[in-house]
Amino acid sequence: MEEILQRISESQQGYPRRLRSLPDMPACLYVRGRLPKEEQLTIGMVGARSCSGYGRHVAWEYARVFSDHGVQVISGMALGIDGESHRGALQGPTPTFAVLGCGADVCYPKSNRDLYEKIPLNGGLISEYPPGAPPAGWHFPARNRIISGLSDALLVIEAKKKSGSLITVDCALEQGKTVFAVPGRVTDTLSEGCNGLISQGAVIALSPEMVLNELGMDTYSTKGSGKKKQIGLARDLDLVYSCVDFQPTDHETLIQKSGFPPGKVLSILTELQIMGLVEEIGKNHYIRS
Amino acid sequence: MFSSVCSAAILGMEAVPVQVEADVSDGLPMFSMVGYVNSQVKETQDRVRTAFHNKKMGLPAKRITVNLAPGDVRKEGTGYDLPVALAILTALGRIPKRHLEGVMVVGELGLDGKIKGVWGVLPIVHKARGAGCHTCIVPKDNEAEGQLIEGIRVVGVDDLQRVVDLLAKGCLAQEGGRQSRLSFEHLETDLGGPDLSDIRGQEGAVRATLIAAAGMHDLLYIGSPGSGKSMLAQRIPGILPPLTREECLEITEIYSIAGLLTKEQPVISRRPFRSPHHTISPQALAGGGRTPRPGEITLAHRGVLFMDEFPEFSRRSLEILRQPLEERYIHISRVQGIYTFPADCMLVAAMNPCACGYYPDLDRCRCTPAQVRRYLSKISGPLLDRLDLCVETREPTYEQITGGSSPVSSAQIRERVMEVQKIQQERYAGKGIRSNSQLDGKDLEEYCPMTREARRWMERIYTGQRLSPRSYHRILKVSRTIADLEGEELITDVHIREAFGYRIVEQKYL
Ligand SMILES: [Zn+2]
Repeated sequence: MEEILQRISESQQGYPRRLRSLPDMPACLYVRGRLPKEEQLTIGMVGARSCSGYGRHVAWEYARVFSDHGVQVISGMALGIDGESHRGALQGPTPTFAVLGCGADVCYPKSNRDLYEKIPLNGGLISEYPPGAPPAGWHFPARNRIISGLSDALLVIEAKKKSGSLITVDCALEQGKTVFAVPGRVTDTLSEGCNGLISQGAVIALSPEMVLNELGMDTYSTKGSGKKKQIGLARDLDLVYSCVDFQPTDHETLIQKSGFPPGKVLSILTELQIMGLVEEIGKNHYIRS
Repeated sequence: MFSSVCSAAILGMEAVPVQVEADVSDGLPMFSMVGYVNSQVKETQDRVRTAFHNKKMGLPAKRITVNLAPGDVRKEGTGYDLPVALAILTALGRIPKRHLEGVMVVGELGLDGKIKGVWGVLPIVHKARGAGCHTCIVPKDNEAEGQLIEGIRVVGVDDLQRVVDLLAKGCLAQEGGRQSRLSFEHLETDLGGPDLSDIRGQEGAVRATLIAAAGMHDLLYIGSPGSGKSMLAQRIPGILPPLTREECLEITEIYSIAGLLTKEQPVISRRPFRSPHHTISPQALAGGGRTPRPGEITLAHRGVLFMDEFPEFSRRSLEILRQPLEERYIHISRVQGIYTFPADCMLVAAMNPCACGYYPDLDRCRCTPAQVRRYLSKISGPLLDRLDLCVETREPTYEQITGGSSPVSSAQIRERVMEVQKIQQERYAGKGIRSNSQLDGKDLEEYCPMTREARRWMERIYTGQRLSPRSYHRILKVSRTIADLEGEELITDVHIREAFGYRIVEQKYL
């Protein structure tokens, strides 16, 4: 892969039209891969870095549906919601784009190496910081205005109160973009941000199709719920699977709920893991994947 | 005149006879001690002199030379006070020599002539019997401990004057009636201690604990603060098989040498549970000193070494435990030679799931994903591949605290552990292996036959989850124990899948 970093200044032709309206538009952009297509619908997706399994699942699934409908997904390639959004989008045919808080030739965070490699194959890594710039704390709030600036609408998946995601929301609102939020359980601190946004007038995003319809796009069903649905599980397997949630559910809870002996529950959980239906995200804590 | 009294030095785990020789001759009045003695032993002179003075047994103005033989054995501690005093008195002719024949003496003198307890009495008495002595004179405080050994008279004394009177008259034989009814020949092992039935909920963790105890696998608990990690660990000694008498003697000797026996508890008849704090020095953990004394790992011999806050232990501490946990012995080398201490214990480690303790409960966890990962990466230290099982602990729910599900008792679990350990003893008879946890390399293939279905699952798990060969071996060993618990010779796919659930997840989360 040729590792050429393009530099596009505001005076140049290829500079994104969407950014030209920003009062604080970046003077130039560095791009690995390419920039989003101007005429194609683009949705920014943001949320917490330490998100719940529910959040990860929702981000992945929404982004996948968007990509299937030809919508470009933009996010920040951070851990948590950002990364899952990119991963979901990569499942579909439409390129996805990451706006970074470091040089576009710097892989940060390291654990998102997979995205760093895959995103620029079709989409692009975008940064206003010069090549080699290390990630600095103040870069991240600043890049949020580019995420919202490049998007036609912003979707918030999971956010605590006073989180970085809400800064992006402020940018989006200033730029006159529609803000969508995925509701969560009222008892979760991770839902406070989104539920708060909804009560303040953000559009509730009950499904990815709903977001697309709202943005004037026709939707069609895309291969059911993808890899998720599996039918014909054996009875015991099905019973344990039905007890696993999108929130981390632990071994002990599953023993109580299923009424099976502990060894059997673990054995079934391994089976579900190998089938790709659940994931162990903490020692003996499982979520649906 | 010349005299000689028998005493003993402790070298590592062994008592070595030492002859305390005294010579009193005319010449300039002086008192000298020779024979590879350390400064503590040099002080013996002062204590003996003062004790004599305060007992109105003043030393004559003569030249007194005391030699501790053999000269190449390093002498430490305060236990030579009494034999030195008796040797001098014998040399002075106040005690007939023959009254001290076949008698081994140990004890510390107070300045007032009282005799104080010392460490290491049990192995010394043991040695005395082996060396053909008929009597041991020990401090009163150590009498019960000494009398654990049958076949030798053990006389506890607490005052210099009294010993001298007894010996002068030669009526040692009338003394030393057995004060304690304890002896290793008639020892009932203690199965008391905290019971598993106190624990509510935790069915998964109890199951893992059972498997670990049955196969002597080292174990790691991961759970939030207050989720019962220590409670579970403390109950492991109680589910291991009762100690045999030989084991009791072995452990009690260790505790005697470590100076941890008391008048109230002269014998250790329960499996040890040692829980060193994470700030402990590597020496205190492994054993050390000029003449090495047992460390925590030896004090946990035949029991449980519990390391709470596992990631907080220094890397050096973990490093130093590695070899002894492997070999079940710890060797400490010094100029005089290599000292060997037993260290056959089960390692039980515990840790929080993250620095704040609540991951993956994202309502309570305040850590960033990077912090969680950094915290977990700390366990990838030197002892990681010793930990065959890893399980979550969780605080019981309200229903479980109040609810009716009858918890299992330690006795019930112990019975199953003993059954499985018996299976292992029979299987590995004459192979130098005692438990499944010791299986390695070729043995693994030989002793872990799998059904075809089990093989298929193992392959799926190995490739699907990208296991390392080491974790493959660990899963196989644990599967062996699970199959033994179910009374099956062939390992099935169910066993393999359960064992996979107990693997250590290294830095995999998030
Ligand atoms: Zn935490």
